[in-house]
Amino acid sequence: MKTATSGTRGAFSSNRGINDFKNRMFTVFVWGISACIVLFILALLYLILQKGLPNLTWGFIMGLPSEMEEGGGIGPALFNSFYMLFISLLIAVPLGMSAGIYLAEFAPNNKWIGFVRICVEGLASVPSIIFGLFGIALFVEMFQIGLTIIGGAISLAFLNLPVMTRVTEEAIRSVPKELKQASFALGATHLQTIRRVLVPTAISGIVTGICLVAGRAFGESAVIILTAGVTTSGEMWDFNLLSPGETLAVHLWYVQSEAIVPDAVSISDKAAAVLVFVILMFNILFRIPLWIKDRRNKH
Amino acid sequence: MQLDTSAPNPVISTNSSELGGSIKTGSGKLFDRKNRLLFYNRAFKIACIASAAFVCLILFSILFFMFRTGVLTFRDVSPMTFFFSSDWSPENESYGAFIFIFGTFALTILTLLISVPLSIVIAVFLAEVAPGWMRNFLRPILDLLVGIPSVVYGFLGLTILIPLLRDITGTNMGDGILAAAIVLTIMVLPTISRISDDAISVVPKKYRDASYALGATRFQTIFKVTIPAARSGIMYGVILGMARAIGETMAVVMVIGNTPQLADALFKPTSVLTSNIVMQIANVPFDSTWNNALYMMGFLLLVISLLMIVLVRLLQRKGAHQ
Amino acid sequence: MKLFKSLSVAAMAIALVASSISSVGAASSLKGKIVINGSSALLPLTLQAANEFKKLNPKVKISASAAGSITGPQSVRKGIADIGAVDWDASTDVPGFKKFDGQVANKVAVIPFAAVANKNVGVSNLTTKQLQDIFSGKVTNWKDVGGSDASIIVVNRAFGSGTRVNFQMKALAGSEFLSKGSNYKEVKSSGDMKTAIETTPNAIGYIDLVYVTSNMKALQINGVAPSEANVINGTYKVWGFGYFMTKGKPEGAVKAFIEYIQSVKFQNGSLKKLKFIPISAIK
Repeated sequence: MKTATSGTRGAFSSNRGINDFKNRMFTVFVWGISACIVLFILALLYLILQKGLPNLTWGFIMGLPSEMEEGGGIGPALFNSFYMLFISLLIAVPLGMSAGIYLAEFAPNNKWIGFVRICVEGLASVPSIIFGLFGIALFVEMFQIGLTIIGGAISLAFLNLPVMTRVTEEAIRSVPKELKQASFALGATHLQTIRRVLVPTAISGIVTGICLVAGRAFGESAVIILTAGVTTSGEMWDFNLLSPGETLAVHLWYVQSEAIVPDAVSISDKAAAVLVFVILMFNILFRIPLWIKDRRNKH
Repeated sequence: MQLDTSAPNPVISTNSSELGGSIKTGSGKLFDRKNRLLFYNRAFKIACIASAAFVCLILFSILFFMFRTGVLTFRDVSPMTFFFSSDWSPENESYGAFIFIFGTFALTILTLLISVPLSIVIAVFLAEVAPGWMRNFLRPILDLLVGIPSVVYGFLGLTILIPLLRDITGTNMGDGILAAAIVLTIMVLPTISRISDDAISVVPKKYRDASYALGATRFQTIFKVTIPAARSGIMYGVILGMARAIGETMAVVMVIGNTPQLADALFKPTSVLTSNIVMQIANVPFDSTWNNALYMMGFLLLVISLLMIVLVRLLQRKGAHQ
Repeated sequence: MKLFKSLSVAAMAIALVASSISSVGAASSLKGKIVINGSSALLPLTLQAANEFKKLNPKVKISASAAGSITGPQSVRKGIADIGAVDWDASTDVPGFKKFDGQVANKVAVIPFAAVANKNVGVSNLTTKQLQDIFSGKVTNWKDVGGSDASIIVVNRAFGSGTRVNFQMKALAGSEFLSKGSNYKEVKSSGDMKTAIETTPNAIGYIDLVYVTSNMKALQINGVAPSEANVINGTYKVWGFGYFMTKGKPEGAVKAFIEYIQSVKFQNGSLKKLKFIPISAIK
């Protein structure tokens, strides 16, 4: 990329000076705007993290929440966040990926599929509160299971399905045609091609999708308030799928909007910092294998 | 990235599946294996179709669910009043939703006006300009922004952005459509820029090489070659971002002011479909016209976003034909 | 994928084991599941009581959620909640809401409310008439009620909020709120109200006394300061009962839970610590 400007000799040489100038202006402009936005984002993250991270203790992270006294923790809520995220990914990732693979690989290129694609995007724009209402109608009223982890997790999965689907589709589509043809030429079936060639090549995009989805699920509150409630079962490591499932984001909402504890502000600062930190960790952990793979491919 | 050797969005031809299937394994021993593979292939394809159908099924169940309750509104309110009257005072039996519909459009357009140019600049920076280490550092940070809970954005908007706007402009409140658009911009920025970034990154290197070989500068290459080639992906990012902007509630409700009046100024407390639904849905009696009207607004929200998506797709197709 | 599958199997197994373990070794014989929904203002109280109650009766499962007051009795009527927490007596008619037939209102706490203003506001006392004028939009400048020359920013809760219903009935004597204007906004929760009042100069609003902080100004109404003592001695009128609505008379675990909240031990212990007022304190 750095050598780009050396290619100015040629067809455009008559107004080379102006183009050179424009090019330089453009570079300065892009750097300037990006630097501003990046600084802004870093400031935002710093703002969230510096208020909470320095005061974090294990007692807070693992402790039980308290309604009256200072020093309540977020243990069960944090656990529920991970547990619910895990279950919702378990549903959304396979379903979303196979729907995405269908759209990218099997679907004929006709009006009907265009319609399906619009449906998927439409679903992505459904406000989370509506997924919440839908979740109530489905799990609380129809199946009568009350406010539970499983209800919350499935509603979350619905919320995340469309993003997962479209990201997978986009990622698989951008795999070079040559790779696919080479695979077919070697006698591979379509399934083998998808499994051995397309998905591994598109994995970077798919991982971006999983990161987006996981981050959104981790930070979502409206759906969970309605479908999984604002209580935890009050004990750590409760794997029961029918327990009420307050997550960390819901706890944050609760502490910010209704809690009476004297240290509510400090709890919400710390909870927000933990949330952001965990999402940061997701992003890094998911990416490390990709970086390693990238590096290996280069050598 | 290692993918830089291909066409940007290869249109997968339908006969490619036949290509795979047409390869015969001549020996009889392998026949079982071939059958098994065929079976797997078919089962996998059916599973994929089922998943895609399932996604549509969810959308339709939601549409049906919202519509079933929402349509009852029109027992008591004429559609003309509902869509075109700007008087929303359910306490006095007036159910005009025009303010919210207008507000939703205004907010979405304002958000896109701010966020799309910024996002594309960021995407170009990430994909074309920034050195490699910076890319690896910035991408996760942008992804991170998606995961910050909307309550946190709303809270920061309420405690930092609004006082700031008040100081800068000298208005009394600072709540309104501009504050909401700024908060939404921060929320959709990572979505649009990361997806555009991915789309620009996979534009084949040969396109750029050809452009440079013709003597184009980097500026010309990016604007005349790279971005047009990545247009489909960028559009998709914009659609997703727009979808999120239309549907966002928890953050918007904290900074928009929630007052049923037309958003004819940047700083005037107003309300959009989502914020009005979330403010009132928990507080109205079931089976009341009010409740039905809120469901109708939810249904309308879905229809609006579907329409906008269709519109963007049409524009995109038109652009592709030129 | 394979990893996911084996992990999921493992999680299911653990879930099964965990659920079977948690159901053995109980101290009390009381069993059941209680679902509570409704007022978010009563949620801290409910959650605290649920925690204590679960320690005494490990076999009872309690799950609580909150959306808005009216959700409480409605969920009870629909049969999706056993207890509906609400800030007014939902077995009678109140402004805007019809009564719920067949439901029993169980008083659980006394909730005082306060009119609050931003710290920069010079006024510290308002009469009922002045409050009515401000909240109906007739008076729009602080100088008309004895303050400095600045526009009044009115912050209101959304229609249907229990706090709003109580404030309207008790502090404004039933008069209507304004609903539009460039200096008017509505907020969604007590926390948002707190933040809005604290950060907006010249703002006025109202909130449960529990949430009043030193960063805002609690206004005297007709010369009486909002305080627990003034509620108990009968001079401060702006308060209401918090209710747990049940379908008919409460039974079983639900009855035990409501009795626990109404017990002297809880009323004078945790309930007081949460800054609600025990129901027995009101004559």
